[in-house]
Amino acid sequence: MSIIKEVIKNFFSKPSTIEYPRKAEIPVEKDFRGEFYADLKKCTGCTLCALECPAKAIEMKKLPENIKLKHNPRGLYPVVNYMTCVYCYRCVRVCPVDAFITTPNYKLSSVKEVYSEEKTLKTLGMG
Amino acid sequence: MAEREATTVIKIPITLDIPIGPQHPAIHEPVMLKIYADGEEVVHAEVNTGYNHRGVEKLMEKNSFYKDKFLSSRVCGICNTVHENCYTRAVEYLAGLEPSPRAKYIRVLAMELERIHSHMIINAIMAEVIGFDTLFMYIMRDRELVMKAKEILTGNRVEAEIHMFGGVRRDIDDVKKDKIMDILKKLEPRLKYYRKLFEEDPTINSRLAEIGILKPETVLGYSLLGPILRGSGIKSDVRAEDKYDAYGEIPWTVITRPEGDSLARMLVRWDEALESLEICKYILEHLPQGPAVVDERKLPRVFPPGESYARVEAPRGELVYYINSVGGANPYRVKIRTPSAVNIINSAFSYVGHSIADVPVILVSYDPCISCMERAIVLDLKNNVEKRVPLKYIAQKKVRL
Repeated sequence: MSIIKEVIKNFFSKPSTIEYPRKAEIPVEKDFRGEFYADLKKCTGCTLCALECPAKAIEMKKLPENIKLKHNPRGLYPVVNYMTCVYCYRCVRVCPVDAFITTPNYKLSSVKEVYSEEKTLKTLGMG
Repeated sequence: MAEREATTVIKIPITLDIPIGPQHPAIHEPVMLKIYADGEEVVHAEVNTGYNHRGVEKLMEKNSFYKDKFLSSRVCGICNTVHENCYTRAVEYLAGLEPSPRAKYIRVLAMELERIHSHMIINAIMAEVIGFDTLFMYIMRDRELVMKAKEILTGNRVEAEIHMFGGVRRDIDDVKKDKIMDILKKLEPRLKYYRKLFEEDPTINSRLAEIGILKPETVLGYSLLGPILRGSGIKSDVRAEDKYDAYGEIPWTVITRPEGDSLARMLVRWDEALESLEICKYILEHLPQGPAVVDERKLPRVFPPGESYARVEAPRGELVYYINSVGGANPYRVKIRTPSAVNIINSAFSYVGHSIADVPVILVSYDPCISCMERAIVLDLKNNVEKRVPLKYIAQKKVRL
């Protein structure tokens, strides 16, 4: 008889599947290893993160012509390729000036390659 | 001389040759099992491997010790923490680094959480293979609790990345401790329920009990490892033998069962999961104070020449790392011996004598149309009657020709 009880219960209950990502949010911890990018206010362009990256996901790029930073004499900054990155956070831990900003954002799937370039340049507050 | 007229013709079909794999959706490893069957009975089995060769050992020689730490945890997805623990300890022995007591406890906590979810997933797959899809989904749903606990502890559901030479990469605070404790309290009744189900359910019992019995001397002779060894009554566990990290300080027991059949191996896994749960609880209650996180910026860049060897009890058995260094930033040689390599390659003998449906893990879900070619056909030409008999009856002269 218990099966009839189950049937009646399931007839009136909501579906147990969740509509991700349209309706449902999957909560993660605040310190989940997610998206991260360099803070240009701190980064000195030392290239250590690019050398230490096990996945070769970090490339050092030249800063745009109009940005000149006193603490970054070589004018280099790291650009993370999120499609190659394995989120081990080795770069975050080896950075001598703690220049990486970490977020728990894990929703990074895309049809194109995604880079951290824009977010890093925004850290200067110049848009 | 007149030829004798033939009265009987025996058509002997070739032994049924069933390739299983290399890319079968239900199997965990891309391995090919070639099963030769006479009728329903397996007469010979071959294991062909090498479909997933990625050259990790060579890659490790080309990369630095630090990059290899992240490579080693990607050898296997399910047991990534034990891989990195084994590699980290081998490098620590080489460099003379010693992690703090708190770091050791956190390492054991990560590894035991991994053991719980690994044993849950293999039991879930066993349930699926024997046709118990609902049970598969229930176990996988409850496995998410462990994955959440691992996420709280390490920062990711699967890839832990919590080890670093001389310590761990993340500490645990009281809030996280309480969260993990709550999850473990929710998980305990579920694990006990599944264990009871595997022990008492008549369907599971009839499919698993007395199938694939391995005697203790056979298991030792073929060097099988892990729960297979303990399911045959041999008390062998690297955690108890080596007492690496904090295992020497935590009270726990090695689980063994004397039966040696498939059911015993699955029950050993459930009992080990429950034992791991107790270990996790003990660690959360008795976590020593002090520093645990190591500053990765202050670690040595180069490592001294020498050899080191570490072993660890992975969920599947004994895992071995051997590192040879000639000094410098890169290792000269890294040798990995995983438990599955031994267990899969050496286990071909264990299929022989069972029916095809009993070939473990994937053959149950495999549905070969064997009935039409499984037997020798004896044609009685005089009466024009066909008799189908298994080949072994002809060999044993049970059939009058």
